[in-house]
Amino acid sequence: MRMSIKLTTQAYCKMLLHAAKYPHCAVNGLLVAEKQKEKKKDSHSTPILCVDCIPLFHGTLALAPMLEVALTLIDTWCKENKYVIAGYYQANERTKDFRPNQVSEKVGARIAENFSEAAMIMVDSTRFTMGCYEPILAIYDHHENKWKCRDCNVDSFDDWCEAQKITSALLEGRSYESLIDFDNHLDDLRNDWTNPEINKSVLHLC
Amino acid sequence: MFDYCRACRLMVTCGDTTRCSKGSAETNHTQFNDVKPVLPRAMASVSEMYDVTWEEMRDKLRKWREDNHRNSEQIVDVGEELINEHASKLGDDIWIIYEQVMIAALDCSRDDLAWTCLQELKRQFPGSQRVKRLAGMRLEALEKYEDASKQYDSILQDDPTNTAARKRKISILKAQGKSAEAIRELNEYLEQFVGDQEAWHELSELYINEHDYGKAAFCLEELMMTNPHNHLYCEQYAEVKYTQGGLENLELSRKYFAQALKLNNRNMRALFGLYMSASHIAACPKVNATVKKANVKYAAWATNQINRAYQLAGRGTKENKCSVKAVEEMLESMQITMS
Repeated sequence: MRMSIKLTTQAYCKMLLHAAKYPHCAVNGLLVAEKQKEKKKDSHSTPILCVDCIPLFHGTLALAPMLEVALTLIDTWCKENKYVIAGYYQANERTKDFRPNQVSEKVGARIAENFSEAAMIMVDSTRFTMGCYEPILAIYDHHENKWKCRDCNVDSFDDWCEAQKITSALLEGRSYESLIDFDNHLDDLRNDWTNPEINKSVLHLC
Repeated sequence: MFDYCRACRLMVTCGDTTRCSKGSAETNHTQFNDVKPVLPRAMASVSEMYDVTWEEMRDKLRKWREDNHRNSEQIVDVGEELINEHASKLGDDIWIIYEQVMIAALDCSRDDLAWTCLQELKRQFPGSQRVKRLAGMRLEALEKYEDASKQYDSILQDDPTNTAARKRKISILKAQGKSAEAIRELNEYLEQFVGDQEAWHELSELYINEHDYGKAAFCLEELMMTNPHNHLYCEQYAEVKYTQGGLENLELSRKYFAQALKLNNRNMRALFGLYMSASHIAACPKVNATVKKANVKYAAWATNQINRAYQLAGRGTKENKCSVKAVEEMLESMQITMS
């Protein structure tokens, strides 16, 4: 039985802020989890908690070099912070298109090489509202070289009520205008893709 | 208690003394205690919040127009206020502002505002093709693709060379997910209008999304030929070649990343790309010792430049130090795989 995945408020809201910042583009990014000390024998017990989200690119997602740079750089950063890259998210350019595609499967598979329980998350933009009344994700697991969709509901969150409230507040306040993704970082190195200001805002609202 | 900073829009708690990224570097977040209490955002005007004059707002809109910025929410905020409060002062500029604001309004699902702008333009320019196209775009925004298509067809009946209408029809195909058809139509369009840069770029993007990197490269070659000084086209071409893979394409990509850097030595993507391509070539078992040595040198040079760029950027901010360190480590770890 696969370990379930849980998202913290910070991870969920940065994902949605990224999609909100570029409504006319495809966006993608990574999810990171805290590195587990030892492999637990009872794999049912602790779900994987994705504590943070690193927004990567917007626009054209299907080119390799910058993706490689980002994966390597973020992997290094993860090691420093005792994190591991645990998942990948993507929101497609067209609202009605929320199926995984070649890019998401490739990147997802790459992450799964290093982290067997990796999740691939597709954002369903058709249900994207300012109120965030329901989770709008589809979570996919890697099973025998195929991606299988699993149910995403409030159980996929560390604290759905908090996630809903805070994400909605940040969307209303247009916090996405100051969200930095890796593309923004490449445009100006001073832009910090860890988004410390937004992390602080999330903390303040908790 | 919390509110949002007027400048950067982040939610901050009362008494927060962290620096604001949007205001000047020395200011803290502008909190509601600092300004007189303002009701929900919708009530405060742009000019009040940002302390700008109507001329500055008009100039900002012009800059966004010239740069073809798609910051639709900001355009709507600034443009709507300009239109509502300062229409008389704008003179003839108002018509192009109506057009700009209308398109931005469509992007933000503000059909009310879009409709108003459209009506003003229809009244001022009856029978204009340009306004007809805007009406078509509104239909597209409402997902009434057949009606929009008919609108564009009627423009093309009167004027078969109307490029805007043809391109909108292709955009409809793209919006409907009909990539193959969009590509076909765009190719046909480009046979007639060979000099349309925007179209070549759009086609390259469509090909990239279909993972047809060879054809995407061809489009970018066209763009590089007609814009030899544009570092962005060079760099994108290099990325496509890199993605295509294989030793020959990697070498080509390295050359074009280098070319992009020559054209603009601050293009970080080109710098990283040069590093990645040179590293991969050096690590490739098929290359001979000379080629390997040369590429190791290129990669080392790039490493140096990347580190310098990060040092420069990281100066003064403690947060960025983690990036600098991460980059240094990443570059170090990749050196190991190259040798």
